[in-house]
Amino acid sequence: MELQLQDVSKQYGTKCAVNNVSADFAPGVYGLLGANGAGKTTLMRMICGVLKPTSGSIRLNGKTMEELGEEYYAHLGYMPQDFGFYPDFTAREFMLYMAAVKGLDKKRARNRTEELLHMVNLSDVADKKIKSYSGGMKQRLGIAQAELNSPSILILDEPTAGLDPKERVRFRNIIADFAKEKIVILSTHIVSDVSYIADRILMMKQGCFLLQEGMDAVTDSIKGKVWELLVDERAAGEYSRNYTVVNLHHENNMVRLRMIEETAPGGDAQIVEPSLEDLFLYYFGEETEK
Amino acid sequence: MLIKYEFLKILRKKSALIVMAISLILTGFLFGLPVMQYQTYNQDGVMKGTAGIAYEKEQYAKLSVPLSEEYIADTIREVQELFKSPAHVGYDGNERFLIGDAYWNGVAPREKLLNLIANNYSSPNENLGYNNLPDLDITSGAFFYQRMKKRMETLLNDPSRALSNEQKEYWSGMADDVDIPLQYGYYEGWEVIISSFELLMFAVLAICIVIAPVFSGEYQEGTDAVILSGKYGKTKLITAKIAASFLFGTVAFMLHIILAWGLPLAAFGVDGWNLPLQIANTAIPYPFTFLQAVLMNTGIIYLVLLAMIGLTLLLSARMKSPYLVLVVMVLVLFIPMFLTPNGTTGAYNLTLFLLPYRVAMPEFSKYISYQLGGLVLDALAVRAILYALLTVIMLPLARLGFQKHQVA
Repeated sequence: MELQLQDVSKQYGTKCAVNNVSADFAPGVYGLLGANGAGKTTLMRMICGVLKPTSGSIRLNGKTMEELGEEYYAHLGYMPQDFGFYPDFTAREFMLYMAAVKGLDKKRARNRTEELLHMVNLSDVADKKIKSYSGGMKQRLGIAQAELNSPSILILDEPTAGLDPKERVRFRNIIADFAKEKIVILSTHIVSDVSYIADRILMMKQGCFLLQEGMDAVTDSIKGKVWELLVDERAAGEYSRNYTVVNLHHENNMVRLRMIEETAPGGDAQIVEPSLEDLFLYYFGEETEK
Repeated sequence: MLIKYEFLKILRKKSALIVMAISLILTGFLFGLPVMQYQTYNQDGVMKGTAGIAYEKEQYAKLSVPLSEEYIADTIREVQELFKSPAHVGYDGNERFLIGDAYWNGVAPREKLLNLIANNYSSPNENLGYNNLPDLDITSGAFFYQRMKKRMETLLNDPSRALSNEQKEYWSGMADDVDIPLQYGYYEGWEVIISSFELLMFAVLAICIVIAPVFSGEYQEGTDAVILSGKYGKTKLITAKIAASFLFGTVAFMLHIILAWGLPLAAFGVDGWNLPLQIANTAIPYPFTFLQAVLMNTGIIYLVLLAMIGLTLLLSARMKSPYLVLVVMVLVLFIPMFLTPNGTTGAYNLTLFLLPYRVAMPEFSKYISYQLGGLVLDALAVRAILYALLTVIMLPLARLGFQKHQVA
């Protein structure tokens, strides 16, 4: 199973949402990281065939979406960002409906529905109308429907947005369960969501991939550039103004600063092991502040 | 399975149920109004509602006869006799009319029939009543059917109609198929239905309102991405949506028809279903019974409904909001209501008679026909072909609209 993006672009008038993106996906979990507006959702929509690229091609095992037709979509499971539900349907009805859209026969539709509702812990409320569900329950139902056809490509767009930390952990575990032997592309701007489950990281900025690396080597580019320093509060203000401070932690009357700089920012700054969050802030620090 | 769920999606919306309930109540009210307002008179005064209907039917029982030349001549003669006695005749300074027992016994029970006979002898654009019967010379016979044919010829040759020879032949040929002598009888229920057909356009609008979100609702609710990325999202799902819309439209239409037909027929009875349309107006060329005429026009309105469903689905697939779809549909369905024909010829009138609101009116006696080379078709045939064709054109366009929809 190989999904290939070749020079994929999406242009809206003069604005380029996705700019000449190429990537090869083999089974594994891919964390698509980027600030809001980086082009993640546009790229995912194009992979899911609900938005046509302005140029470039998307191929599955060497064949384009157009060539594969329904067969391409049969491989897909998609959980869009903020997607709507039918408020007057129950969760079970919604799952059976989606199973029909995905071409599952009646028996398999019923089995998968029960199995997945159980897996996402919604069995007890399966006959309640979706309009009565909380945000977290809706998100869980969203991922359950994406998994209905046991897809070989699972696309999850900001699946943890709006969830509280406990729900996010639960969600990560569900995704990890589903991820076996399939291509999972998970977009988020919450770094901790992917740091636990992703095998590879794709960093996206202004429609382009800045970085495509395996988790083990993803932070190599900032190795030796992340520093920690313990200073008093007055000095901390000074550092914040003059350096890229990615974290600030108060310890008694002192402040521990974490900075990303090419050279030592002075004082007793110590080089520390870079994290994925450091990397994210290194690339998107200014954008996220906006 | 998909059709079932798409049908459920339409039905589950509270707004759909409310719109349908309002539409059914409105249809019931509009078609029930003639029953509620019905009144007839006899010497003792006015009789309303079911009592009036029962009385009228009793009177008509004596009139359920074939309108032979002899019967018509005798009828005219009877009225002429009544007018001979000055004691029976009143005068309002403009025209003479029968009064007292002569009116209540000799005219009132069969006034509709007498008016029909009198009008058969009138000139085009003239509306005569029973009080014109004394002016007729029937010494050598009534020649009712000869007169009926001649009157139609006069109507067809009226320069304002601008009918071609082929069109005149078409109508004359059609009228030749009318069985004579005409069988007379009671037909009130059917007349109410025929004269109220255009009220069904409210039902058509209500159905369009309910199905307006079939595609655009998915865009609005944000469910488009997930269904379009499903295996059948761009294929069988669209077919299911279209099928569910037609299924819903058909069921809703049938419910409205049950009310629209049911109320007048329950009140006035089904009497007259097998009587010819000409007993309501001898100028009608269609050789239909009342039942056939009602079925025919109901069928045409159903075809209009299918085309309007097609148009609604097309707009729904192309527009981002069901409300925009509704605005267009209201304009399409009801603008023709405010356009009045100024004749039966010319591009304006001929187009107007094919527009959604006007199309619901059968216009049986207007000789509206369309000619393409040597081929002549009447309004009913053109309407049926046009709306069937529109349905066939709209559906692939609606399908394409959803298939090509971009989730952005």
